[in-house]
Amino acid sequence: MKKITLLPLAALVASSLALADDIKVLKFSEDGTPTTFDPVQAGTTYANTVTTAVYDTLYEYKYLKSPYELKPNLAVDMPQVSEDGLTYTIKLKKGVKFIDDPAFADGKGREVTAADFVYSIKRHFDPKNRSQGSWLWTGKIVGVDDWKANGSDYTKSIEGLQALDAHTVQIKLIKPFPQLTYTLAMGYSGIVPVEAVEKYGRELSVHPVGSGPFKVVSHNSTKTVLEKNTNYRQEIFDVAGSGYDEKVHGFTGIATLDGKTLPIVDRVELNWVKQASARWNSFSKGTEIVNTTLQNEQMNEVLASKHPVTLKPEYAEKFNFRVNPEAGLVYNFFNFDDEYFGYSEDPKIGAANKALRCAIVKSFNWPQRVSRFYLGIGEAYPGFIVPGTDGFDPAMDKASIKQDIAGAKKLLKEHGWNKRSLPVLYFPGVSSTRNKQFFEQFRGNLTKIGYPKNKIKNKSYATFGDFNKDVKMSKTQLIPMGWGLDYPDAENTLQLFYGPNRSPGSNGSNYNNPEFNKLYEQASIMQPSPERTEIYKQMNQMVVDDCVGIGGYSRTRIRMWHKNAIMWPQRDVIGNYLKYVDIKS
Amino acid sequence: MYSIPLLFGVTLISFVLMVYFGPDKTYDLLGRNPTIEEINEIRHQLGYDQPFFVRYLEYIKEVLLFDFGYSDSTGEKVTSILAKTIPVSIALQLPGFILGNVLGILLALFAAMHRSTWLDKLIMSSSVVGMSISYLIVIITTQLIFCSSYGLNLFPVYGWEVNSLSDYLYYITVPTISSVFVALGYNTRFYRAVIVEETTRDHVRTAKAFGHSASTILFKHVLRNSLIPIVTRIVFSIPFVIVGGALLLESYFGIPGVGLTAYDAITTGDLPVLKAIIVLTTLMFILVVSLVDILYRVVDPRISLK
Repeated sequence: MKKITLLPLAALVASSLALADDIKVLKFSEDGTPTTFDPVQAGTTYANTVTTAVYDTLYEYKYLKSPYELKPNLAVDMPQVSEDGLTYTIKLKKGVKFIDDPAFADGKGREVTAADFVYSIKRHFDPKNRSQGSWLWTGKIVGVDDWKANGSDYTKSIEGLQALDAHTVQIKLIKPFPQLTYTLAMGYSGIVPVEAVEKYGRELSVHPVGSGPFKVVSHNSTKTVLEKNTNYRQEIFDVAGSGYDEKVHGFTGIATLDGKTLPIVDRVELNWVKQASARWNSFSKGTEIVNTTLQNEQMNEVLASKHPVTLKPEYAEKFNFRVNPEAGLVYNFFNFDDEYFGYSEDPKIGAANKALRCAIVKSFNWPQRVSRFYLGIGEAYPGFIVPGTDGFDPAMDKASIKQDIAGAKKLLKEHGWNKRSLPVLYFPGVSSTRNKQFFEQFRGNLTKIGYPKNKIKNKSYATFGDFNKDVKMSKTQLIPMGWGLDYPDAENTLQLFYGPNRSPGSNGSNYNNPEFNKLYEQASIMQPSPERTEIYKQMNQMVVDDCVGIGGYSRTRIRMWHKNAIMWPQRDVIGNYLKYVDIKS
Repeated sequence: MYSIPLLFGVTLISFVLMVYFGPDKTYDLLGRNPTIEEINEIRHQLGYDQPFFVRYLEYIKEVLLFDFGYSDSTGEKVTSILAKTIPVSIALQLPGFILGNVLGILLALFAAMHRSTWLDKLIMSSSVVGMSISYLIVIITTQLIFCSSYGLNLFPVYGWEVNSLSDYLYYITVPTISSVFVALGYNTRFYRAVIVEETTRDHVRTAKAFGHSASTILFKHVLRNSLIPIVTRIVFSIPFVIVGGALLLESYFGIPGVGLTAYDAITTGDLPVLKAIIVLTTLMFILVVSLVDILYRVVDPRISLK
């Protein structure tokens, strides 16, 4: 009797276990937390990862292709661009639906249309949405600035942003903007239905309603859970078309995923783990987190060698890894508004200021910085064009990234700088052990060129917001920061030196060189070409020659994942990659 | 009645600190290439362009309606955030809070009973060791021992998916061990000092002279008469348990409680969340002060509520 009574329970347990086995779950960790999933505010890498997984964008990057290359996502094809480069016409796939959500009249997701795209971009120009992405299109799309100036009335159309029919979008530009298509692959351009905005208002940030491969089922400050969007359109993984290279990706097993319906996993658990030790412990025990990034703290424990990177046998047995330079860079700019670093009407003072900048650049020890803080992997490069983007020149003269103490001393002496005349220098940064260490290293190098130690001081800020405020208000002498690429085009980093972008804009250095500005304006409307590449190189050389800052270096990360996961970890730029991941049962 | 001026004073002082010394949220919300107009738009949205007293009156209105609007960071309704995070923090802190106090009292009684013997010295020196080790080190060590593949690997390092009692015990055990380890040192030393002082009183000497057993003396005469400072300490720490949360525990164990929320709000200048947490903490203290008055009366009938 007892046996019979227990049978249904046993069956239930068995079926639950079977079900649990059938569900494929990708669990991974990141070192920060997204605060919102509203596309208009998808400014962080963390937010972009989720936003591009739950919202459709017109375009996306090929998963495995290096250098980055776009492909249609919700769009049928790449855009049709008019001869003058000013009109983009884009056809949308038909029959694509938003997820089922109470925001819709019958709770069923309706079809995504061109009007939804237009509405989603308009939202960036409505001040109440606090857009972080509007700068991408400001002054570029015909009529958006006027639409905003006239009160952001959604009933009024914008000349440059039209839905020609239910499935055709037309974008008209004021001047050519070759990077436009890249911006249509960013989380900022995620397509949002008006019904969801009306239902959830500001809480759309935690109730995303999209048409992407996943939907958010829960979110809090430490974890976000996504589940497969069962309404997702039919999309097949074309491994060869994604940029698969047997030599690079062969060991991952990705080739076996060819022809699979996307998304492959049923559930994604994103653990937002700021603490490196907790992240590593959770990853290494193998039951909680499938992939993570190796931190300095674990380097000696895990790595057998750095050049080339290899894992110790006990780790190599369990984990795959990828050595992956970030799509971005770290740098330390000088503020040209500062009287000791900037321009002067007096040519003698101008030359002395330049000598001071160049001497500080020469004092910097990049190998030491990389060795102490960035796993000792990767190398600095001259200038500020990120490797892998158009205009990066590996043959560029490396003098600007080599420590040259004698050269720095000579420069200072020739221009009359001495212990008495050298200014008090404040090295700013958000209060943290690492920033303090950066400061100590910076000061240590400067003392080698004769800079008095007591004239180099640390300026510590309680929060990034406070630090950013001073940078935006041009109150810091130096700007030690990083820049993650918005899109893989050198224009994205060269705009950091364009005069009209000065503070509070992205040009925190307030560098304003008419010759550079002219070249920038010329290149920014050019389609990729050898001619444009040459201009990029000239601009890069110009900022190196003017000693605008210390740079650059792209932090190289070691991404690790368990061997039961078939994946190619991608965090920067490309966004929507979770749909390609598979977990072996 | 004193609660009204108290609430008024706390909100005013905290608001002055938030407005004049807190982080400027504007620069956290900006895009990467903002214009001065965009900065002004955000400042306007955040109400930063309003005079101080207009903003303060708005705060008072929010307090009266208990509606603090939406978080400037996440866009989520503040009351929803608190409703989700406070129960998690209570669930996280409660076992450690109870165990830390109960064990602290028991160890203190034991130490006081064996005053000046090696047992007393052992307990007291262990307490000092417990107090001296950083909470952070305790958390990392317990994680390594109980949760990681380098140790026993019995419990999760990270997460909070509690749907049953067994889940709860699974996620709570190691954080509780960490918090008890740290709290025990402070509690034991404090309670021992209180109890030892009580054992020197005349009534205890009289009880001994009357031949009462050691346990009767300890529990009936010593502990009972030590309850006022013990109750004060315990009850006054309740607001921290409920609202303050445990930032380090929540951060290292990935537990989405109010401690993390409060920390993020402070460091990013998320005023709507911060204002709500301050008001809630103040209300908790007002409640606790009233509760303490009642408990004093319970443990010592000589005390009048008037």
